[in-house]
Amino acid sequence: MLRVEGLHAGYGASEVLQGVTLEVGAGQLVALIGANGAGKTTTMRAISGLLKPARGRVILDGREVQGLEAFQIARLGLAHSPEGRKVFGPLSVEDNLLLGAFRRLPAFFGYRRHAAAGLERVYGLFPKLKDRRTQAAGTLSGGEQQMLAIGRALMADPKVILLDEPSMGLAPIIVQEVFATIRRLKEAGTTLLLVEQFASSALAVADRAYVMERGRILREKSTDDLRHDEGLLQAYLG
Amino acid sequence: MTAAVLAQVVVSGALMGLVYALVAYGFQLTYATSKSINFGQGELVMVSAFVSLSLVNAGLPYGLVLPAGMLFGALLGLFVERAGVRLALEQKSEGWILMTIILGLFFLSAAENVWGRDDRPFPTPISSDPIHLLGVDITPLEISVAVGVFAVMGLVELFKRVTLLGKAFEAVSADRDAAELMGISARRAIMLSYGLSGMVAALAGILVSPITTVGPTMSSTLILKAFSVAVVAGLDSGFGVVVVGILLGALEAVTSLTVGSGWREAPGLVLLILALAVRPTGVFGKATIRKV
Ligand SMILES: Nc1ncnc2c1ncn2[C@@H]1O[C@H](COP(=O)(O)OP(=O)(O)OP(=O)(O)O)[C@@H](O)[C@H]1O
Ligand SMILES: [Mg+2]
Repeated sequence: MLRVEGLHAGYGASEVLQGVTLEVGAGQLVALIGANGAGKTTTMRAISGLLKPARGRVILDGREVQGLEAFQIARLGLAHSPEGRKVFGPLSVEDNLLLGAFRRLPAFFGYRRHAAAGLERVYGLFPKLKDRRTQAAGTLSGGEQQMLAIGRALMADPKVILLDEPSMGLAPIIVQEVFATIRRLKEAGTTLLLVEQFASSALAVADRAYVMERGRILREKSTDDLRHDEGLLQAYLG
Repeated sequence: MTAAVLAQVVVSGALMGLVYALVAYGFQLTYATSKSINFGQGELVMVSAFVSLSLVNAGLPYGLVLPAGMLFGALLGLFVERAGVRLALEQKSEGWILMTIILGLFFLSAAENVWGRDDRPFPTPISSDPIHLLGVDITPLEISVAVGVFAVMGLVELFKRVTLLGKAFEAVSADRDAAELMGISARRAIMLSYGLSGMVAALAGILVSPITTVGPTMSSTLILKAFSVAVVAGLDSGFGVVVVGILLGALEAVTSLTVGSGWREAPGLVLLILALAVRPTGVFGKATIRKV
């Protein structure tokens, strides 16, 4: 569903990604793990077009998308829930969700009706968001904002979702909730690429995992192998 | 001076203030999506007014001059975005400040060359014979200013609050990258806001010209006042610019009547200085103009 081949990207003169290759099959949950600064966020930004790759290919559902604008890639079915959540603070929870479905909705009127089924689904997953749907997103707690960010990504009914550190800055109990949600999404057949600090939790839900170091994919392994690789766990994952 | 005269002056001044509000509203529209404003907004008002005047003189009926003038203003707004703003924003630089000032100067000298330096009357079919209303004389022409300002601001506000595209505007303003990830083209949202802003500027020019005449100097007087209004009201409250605009217009008229017409510009400047000293984020707003 998503294939990345030899991706090079960076900021200005500094090249961060030096040939990243990875693949996420339809319905798979793939984890991308690695130390701070390894280039995980940069990989996701280069996939979704927020950062223009210098070289390499990004293939989404059989179509090359590298070089397109971020909004075009989003319209082709890629959802990216960025690091730090990035909800639209001044807008209401429901408006955030509606904008998640922007690409599929009429731009002027009648969008609420078109979005009804999607909203129901997200509110089903996150009942708390329904209680707070008129509240400004910026006033939600960190955990609620993360739920909103995931819900907003789901609203687009995307082919692939990139989740960048959904557990960042959350209390352990909320982190468990986030992982329970990820597990449910996987069971529902969602295709996901997940970046996580909590590597052992990520490995527990993922089908496969890539380990990243200094802008390269170090190795690709089944999650079982990784979990039994003590040295690796010590080195990167804590 | 009787109360009746004072009331008369206040009403006329307030109506003029609505035009300042409309020009200031043009600042808010582009600020909302891009955190940038067109410092040449006054020249957009002036050039659009001149173009509309030429259309009137060419025999186009007023009912067509209004939409044609507004369309021209929108195109000028798009031009400013393309030529002066886009590149700077994409490079996250403040270059748009200088660029929009330069484009304004360019429009000014172009206007002086095409239409000359004199002030010219702007004929309109709307009557300027006063009618008596609640103790003050008010002309249909003045009423048309109020109707035009409230109609266009109401429509734009409705667009921003009610339509999904309007919410997308706000999303771009809140977080440009995140908006792109929703499939919203930030560039198109910014273009659209510059187009709307230019349209609003043209409307201001067409509404005010029959009262004040059209001339190259109208841009600098209007821009200074609109700027005061925007700074005092903040850059994110449409309601705020209307209130402050009316207040400033009335204050100017009263000052001019009581202190002397030479002091007409004083209230705007005093208000601007006070606002910057006391509440740089604007009385109604959170946002502030940086590096001005
Ligand atoms: N905007 C930027 N400008 C310049 N360099 C950057 C920028 N963002 C990241 N980098 C650099 O790119 C490298 C990779 O950063 P990236 O954010 O992709 O790492 P990461 O794997 O997501 O780390 P973390 O686990 O801390 O989120 C780092 O060395 C970082 O300093
Ligand atoms: Mg990161």
